[in-house]
Amino acid sequence: MDINDLDDDEEFGFSRNYFLAKEMRGSGKKKSAQKLSDIDVVDEQELRVAVSNIETKHEKEIDTLLISYKSLYPKWVFELRCGFGLLMYGFGSKKSLLEDFASTELTDCGVIVINGYLQSVNVKNVVSTLAEILWEQLKTRRRFSAGSTSKVQQPSSSQSMEDLLAFLDGSNAKENDCFVCVVIHNIDGPGLRDCESQQYLARLASCSNVRVVASIDHVNTALLWDKKMVHTQFNWCWYHVPTFAPYKVEGVFFPLILACSGTAQNAKTAAIVLQSLTPNAQSVFKVLAQHQLAHSDEEGMPINNLYATCRERFLVSSQMTLNSHLTEFKDHELIKTRRHSDGQDCVYIPLTSEAITNLLEEIG
Amino acid sequence: MESESLDSPPASPIANNGENNLQPFFVLHKALPRKGSRKASETGKTRSKLASLSSPKAAEKSEETKQVGEDDYDEVPLEAFDFVWSKIDRTIKDVLLNINISVFDVIHQWVCESFSTIKSAGTPGGLHSYPPLTDITCKQIFTGLVMTKNVEFVDDLLTFKELAMHLKSHDSHVVTLSSMDFTAKSGIGGCLKSLQRQLIKFTPDTADISILVSWYSEPENKGYPIVVIIDDMERCNGCVLSEFILILREWVIKIPVILIMGVATTIDAPKKLLTSNALQYLSPCKFTLGSPSERMDAIMEALLVKLCTGFDIGHKVAVFLRNYFLRHDGTVTSFIRALKIACSKHFLMEPLSFLCEGFLSEDSHSFWMEMCESLPVEMHKCAFDLPSCKLIDDVSCLSTETLVSGLSAVKSLQKDWSSVVLCLFEAGKFHRIKLFDIFCEALDPNRQSGAVEDRVKASSSGIFLHSEECFGQRKTGFISQAVRRIKDLPPAQLSQLLQIWRKHTEGITEINVKVEELLSMLDFDGESKSNKQDGIGSPRKVTSPGESKSPKKVRTGSPKKAASRSHLNTEKDKEAVNLKAVKLLECMVKDYLKPIESLPFHEIFCFKHVDILQSALIGDPRKMIQVDLLKSHTYLHCSCCNKSGESLLPSMNDTSIIYQLAQEHGDLINLHDWFQSFKAIILPPSNTKKGKRKLQMYPLSKKRKVAVEIESISEASIQARFCKAVTELQITGLLRMPSKRRPDFVQRIAFGF
Repeated sequence: MDINDLDDDEEFGFSRNYFLAKEMRGSGKKKSAQKLSDIDVVDEQELRVAVSNIETKHEKEIDTLLISYKSLYPKWVFELRCGFGLLMYGFGSKKSLLEDFASTELTDCGVIVINGYLQSVNVKNVVSTLAEILWEQLKTRRRFSAGSTSKVQQPSSSQSMEDLLAFLDGSNAKENDCFVCVVIHNIDGPGLRDCESQQYLARLASCSNVRVVASIDHVNTALLWDKKMVHTQFNWCWYHVPTFAPYKVEGVFFPLILACSGTAQNAKTAAIVLQSLTPNAQSVFKVLAQHQLAHSDEEGMPINNLYATCRERFLVSSQMTLNSHLTEFKDHELIKTRRHSDGQDCVYIPLTSEAITNLLEEIG
Repeated sequence: MESESLDSPPASPIANNGENNLQPFFVLHKALPRKGSRKASETGKTRSKLASLSSPKAAEKSEETKQVGEDDYDEVPLEAFDFVWSKIDRTIKDVLLNINISVFDVIHQWVCESFSTIKSAGTPGGLHSYPPLTDITCKQIFTGLVMTKNVEFVDDLLTFKELAMHLKSHDSHVVTLSSMDFTAKSGIGGCLKSLQRQLIKFTPDTADISILVSWYSEPENKGYPIVVIIDDMERCNGCVLSEFILILREWVIKIPVILIMGVATTIDAPKKLLTSNALQYLSPCKFTLGSPSERMDAIMEALLVKLCTGFDIGHKVAVFLRNYFLRHDGTVTSFIRALKIACSKHFLMEPLSFLCEGFLSEDSHSFWMEMCESLPVEMHKCAFDLPSCKLIDDVSCLSTETLVSGLSAVKSLQKDWSSVVLCLFEAGKFHRIKLFDIFCEALDPNRQSGAVEDRVKASSSGIFLHSEECFGQRKTGFISQAVRRIKDLPPAQLSQLLQIWRKHTEGITEINVKVEELLSMLDFDGESKSNKQDGIGSPRKVTSPGESKSPKKVRTGSPKKAASRSHLNTEKDKEAVNLKAVKLLECMVKDYLKPIESLPFHEIFCFKHVDILQSALIGDPRKMIQVDLLKSHTYLHCSCCNKSGESLLPSMNDTSIIYQLAQEHGDLINLHDWFQSFKAIILPPSNTKKGKRKLQMYPLSKKRKVAVEIESISEASIQARFCKAVTELQITGLLRMPSKRRPDFVQRIAFGF
């Protein structure tokens, strides 16, 4: 069949691309040994301010795109009522899209929103709140219809997960349109990525009185689910809805790549660490730093040389004292060791020359 | 409300509920009082709904109905879906139960025998403080190993559920546990608690087996076996399961537990999983379920061939589903799910699909007449705008009668079609031809040569056409194979086949008569063997070959008479019957196997949108998210970026830019280089000394505008934009962040789609 033939082709293309990429790395490694630290990174504070001030490109077009998805809303409602779950994917934040859909179209059922992009989400709390909402919903419904008294016990957060799920899965509502809806932003997010949460979400999704609308952003999300979850519990109906809206909230907890691993950060932490050390230790570090500035093309300072210099200047009295200083430096990642071409160990500071100069000024 | 919200984009929640964004979860809203019309949503009210739709008031509304989705109209497709799907669902359950019922009965029998053995060994439920030690045999746990013949355990979940129901209805206490109850994390407490919860209906804080003992000693519980079903044994934690078995066997006299475990692999699976200590207390017994392909054939037969619900699938969809089953997944569950999606999409997309109800009504003609007369004008028009309407010869009379007779024609031809497919399947069974293969071929609108082919060819796109070559073997298709092989059938099998045909062709009188005739010839053959010594009769053919080719001519003579006139006793004559059967089947295929897609108005009952089904069924985030990033302007339709062709423009989405730049790197991307090339893109060439790529020429006005913008782009904002774009790629999972070992590189994850 063509789909599978295509798959084979794709697979072939995929592996070929992969090996091409690997080859490029072999040949390209020498060319691009540029350091991230060569970028003159602005102060982290300033960077964060700048990040929050980024103007969204194509704002108008994004709005148009979101409006165009409104024509799908009736379809989505239909599919939810048919018993499917909705899974939205495509590039761009789908947060406002899902919440807009839920608040305009799902007005006759209770809706809970889970922010899966946060670091931790307690699924048990979600389930117990959901059970309370359903209970209220059923109570109101009964009052409207026959007025029969509820035999079901009111769910409370003290009940076990099993009981709450059993309540949500109850057949107490014969009409299949009495349900509560769970909107899950980033069902593949860090807070929900573990196996246990996914199992609970799957069981929640399979409850007769619960419908799930979820969004994913990670390309490998499908690996979170086994066939039981996919076919019998989540029962997804996939929709490709790229929005190109910025991941404003979703990205809040990610470190900024230039800020965290850049030199600015390292030089600053180095200064803080050094200031807390003894003057002798600081002086040992200075010896190493001056040597590195003077011989920037060398691989580092041989430990014997360092010992000799330090002893001359009365900074250390024995090899042991020097070693204790070096261990301290290593623990704080101020220095690293590597083997010199002639076989002896040498130490070096993993910072650029400018950074070292700045550092010396700061502690000097 | 809707019309207002249609014009405005979704309100940004970032602005109005910033606090909620940082809550793990929040209540968006509770249920508002429902609108009146939805309250009374019961199935079977379609007719009245439609009547109300056709009233003048509703007709005025119908324009806005289409856009906004008025409640009345909304309910119609949903009710039709519920109506049809509940029928399909019930049929599937019945079919599966029918397949399994004999095994279930055997299991039940075994449960009863095991229970009586336990009873004879001690007195279950007796109030001794601890079971007295008797001989070792009574401390065994009777264990049924149900071989599922299927590595995919999903398909068997339903089977075990049914088994539980079956045993429950035969007076057993049944507990269903799964591998989730036997995890190392929750330990032995987890499964014992589940056991208690299901039996006693309350969850104690601690798992205590003595509670179970006192529960079982109550008079209403006593006297029945407790069956514990574990549907996926191999996935359980071996240690926990072993411990569970050891505990149960100590109490087996007081709590007569009988285990039933689903085994997907081989009979020695328990040996591999359990400790030898636990293993020695099991007294196993093996049961075997049907294989997935057997189940599939049975479901296909009942669902898509026999059950005429007014929901059918087109050829391409059928081929897709077959391949999805055979190559993609291999589970009946996923097939059913795919069918359900197809069904919901059909009722959603085809406004007239609710007419399917007529398929099941006794007098469908008058049902459709009534329905169609009350149709609003738009819907009426809808019917005649269907592409298949071009198949109607007389275009001038597009009246309700035409529509109704078209629908009735679909129904009656569909019935004939089903009969012939079943006959073909029976013939193909001798050569292990799968029903799904015959089914797909029978649906192919291009199968029949001639006028039909030409007319329909135009509408079939190329997606699945070349698949035929590698799968369906165009010239020697499954149907012709099935037909040809009849020639070689021995008389006993032929007679068996004809008897089944007689049943299947009850709806087609002409064919039925011929089948009877062939049967009587065979019967006579059997008789003639015994009468051989009498030397009765010379062979006389009943019908000439020419006659059998035209089954529409109704025969006058009764089959019995015809049989009495015929005698067969030589080899040659036996072959003649086989040949006649071949001819008959060929006629059936030629005259009655009309693919639904070759009929006018078939779209009302037939789902053909394979692409829609596929995208809803199998999302492809890995590919699509990359396509989004690489071809962003095809979605945004902005005026600034779509002229660019291949080159990158500063106006493009930042994440798009860096992802496209990333394509030029190997599996490792040097962050410094990456940042510099990003900078070079968003700043014009004159401003960047390190800029490696030249940007395309802009129109003059734009250039000026860009130049003005450039001045305001500070280094901080460039870095911020880069950081944010990298974060966004990280969210999509297309990047691996720098490690300690490689602080200056990020790693690419995806290479091509």
